[in-house]
Amino acid sequence: MFFYYLDLAWRSIKKTPFLSLLMVLAISIGIGITITTLNVYQLMSVNPAGERSDKLLAVQLWSQGKDAWKEFNVQLTYQDAFNLRKSDVPVRQTAMFVTGLALQTEDPDFAPMLETVRVTDSDFFDMFSVPFIYGKAWDKSVDTEAVYQVVINESLNKQLFASENSIGRTLFLDSKPYQIVGVTQSWSPSPLYPDLTTGAFKDAAQAFVPFSLAPIEEFQSWGNNQSWKRESINNYSQRLNSEMHWIQYWAEVQDDKQRDEYAQWLQRYVDQQQLLGRFESPEAAAQLSNVEQWLEVNEVVPEDNKILVGLSALFLIVCLVNMLGLLLAKFLKRAPEVGVRRAIGASRGQIFSQHMVEVGLIGFCGGILGLAWAWASLFLLSSRFDLEKSLTHLDISMWFIAPVIAIFAALVAGTYPALRICSTNPSVHLKSQ
Amino acid sequence: MLSMKNISKVFKTDLVETHALRDFNLEVAEGEFVAVTGPSGSGKTTFLNIAGLLEGFTLGDYFLDGVNISNLSDNKSAAIRNEKIGFIFQGFNLIPDLNLAENVEVPLRYRGFSAKERKRRVQHALEQVGLAARMKHLPSQLSGGQQQRVAIARALAGEPRFLLADEPTGNLDSMMARQVMELLEDINKAGTTIIMVTHDAELARRAQRNIQIVDGQVCDFTMYQGGEGYQSGEGHQGGERTNEKPHLVTESRASVNQDKVAS
Repeated sequence: MFFYYLDLAWRSIKKTPFLSLLMVLAISIGIGITITTLNVYQLMSVNPAGERSDKLLAVQLWSQGKDAWKEFNVQLTYQDAFNLRKSDVPVRQTAMFVTGLALQTEDPDFAPMLETVRVTDSDFFDMFSVPFIYGKAWDKSVDTEAVYQVVINESLNKQLFASENSIGRTLFLDSKPYQIVGVTQSWSPSPLYPDLTTGAFKDAAQAFVPFSLAPIEEFQSWGNNQSWKRESINNYSQRLNSEMHWIQYWAEVQDDKQRDEYAQWLQRYVDQQQLLGRFESPEAAAQLSNVEQWLEVNEVVPEDNKILVGLSALFLIVCLVNMLGLLLAKFLKRAPEVGVRRAIGASRGQIFSQHMVEVGLIGFCGGILGLAWAWASLFLLSSRFDLEKSLTHLDISMWFIAPVIAIFAALVAGTYPALRICSTNPSVHLKSQ
Repeated sequence: MLSMKNISKVFKTDLVETHALRDFNLEVAEGEFVAVTGPSGSGKTTFLNIAGLLEGFTLGDYFLDGVNISNLSDNKSAAIRNEKIGFIFQGFNLIPDLNLAENVEVPLRYRGFSAKERKRRVQHALEQVGLAARMKHLPSQLSGGQQQRVAIARALAGEPRFLLADEPTGNLDSMMARQVMELLEDINKAGTTIIMVTHDAELARRAQRNIQIVDGQVCDFTMYQGGEGYQSGEGHQGGERTNEKPHLVTESRASVNQDKVAS
């Protein structure tokens, strides 16, 4: 009977095209706005680490003094990062920050360009599941004994070397020759959870260089730098020894037991630093956050966004109320036909189903049109308001979510009109036709 | 076949109670052709709606094919309407967006027949009414008489045992009315029980039995025999039918006992 009802629904829609269009428009606008906000919300709140979310831990240390900020800073000082890196704790760790370097090839005709470069350790690539096309990360030894090596991504490799295998070739960064040891596939998680300090939805860096080169090359930080006390920082060495927070630090554990052991180890480090006269606050401690928690700590999804989703849902309800009125008018006009159908053997349930299928079809059409509205509004947000690109593409899940929400919403709106029409007394209409 | 005992139907509003039927008694045997006449507002259509399970009743007992109709669920009522009862209306009540075949097919859809079986029945029903060649036409492309024949085909497609016709010729000219009446007579001869509400005394006379309803009660019945003579019960008021003495003695003013009629 479903296909029979579908056929009847389609005929009914064709019979009253203007009324049907009004209903489809009503629901599509509601769905369009809801899907737009939901899409942005979903893209913001997605956990890109997937199954590795619980294994990757962002490290925070309450290293500030008594009268400083009353919360864990999201970054570490260089000296803490340095101390943790050089320890022999059996846990993979990586420190990182972002810098900018002038990039040039061996080709003298190639115009230098300024590129964002991530300064990090070799474990970064495995920890954050960065896939390689050619080569691999630099050796672990490079993390302690600085070597001028670089990993670039496929986009940069395409731009510089026409996507050829560029392993072993030389790239000049700030006029220093770096040997290319790896070419990664496009990797740009959204949100960019390893480093949320400069915007959660920015593109990832196109090149990576060893962290061990930082004190030698004196890479400037292009990220956030936060100090809790006044310090005189006149050179790079003073910066490295300062209490300025500017390094992101991550660890990888295999299970809860290892996490606990690592947390205890960090606490011992805090205690040790207190003995050395640092970490003056009585609240000094270490904090570990998995990726899920890290996204919350950094408030990747602002509260405003949640309110916006709620408001758009309210708007959808207004559209549905509008649709309910139109449906009621349309269905009640059809009462004589329903009377005939009831007389010749249709049960109330069958009449109800027939009308709900029609409502569902209208909802489906509204969902499809709503997707188009959502796509258009995201395009507008992207082009007119310079919103991050990673937030303004229509997520693939929305292609399923939009019709499902639209059909469900339409069914909710259509229930009352369908109940009304199937409970009318058929005999009243049979005589009057 | 159909047995109504002390049926009452009261329509209530805040201010008024209207007794559409009161202590209504009627029995119709299988294969009968019963014409129901009466003045406007006498309760004919209410009776037909109750008989067709389109409306409930306030008091009394109604048995159709031995089934007590009093407390049937909506699904059960719908199933009985679909399987046992065919409806023919004064206004034809075809669905304007569906072609003839699709109109005739509607009750078969609700009955759950296969596409093949539906097609066979639709073809047969439209052949019976002489409209098989026009099955793809829309109702609006037909004359009133043809539309009524489609309505009859729709009623016949489910092979009902019981046909309820409410003024089936009311909207037709005399020639078309005669054609439709002949069709109903043929259907009755094939074994289908027919109850027809009509204002047309000529048509009523062609039925086997004539019931007159006044103020919600059966006040008169007449048995016709082959369209020639008749037998009249208590309260009969038809002037041209007073030349023969009625055989039937009724036990009450509003009852017809088919066993006694037969004797």
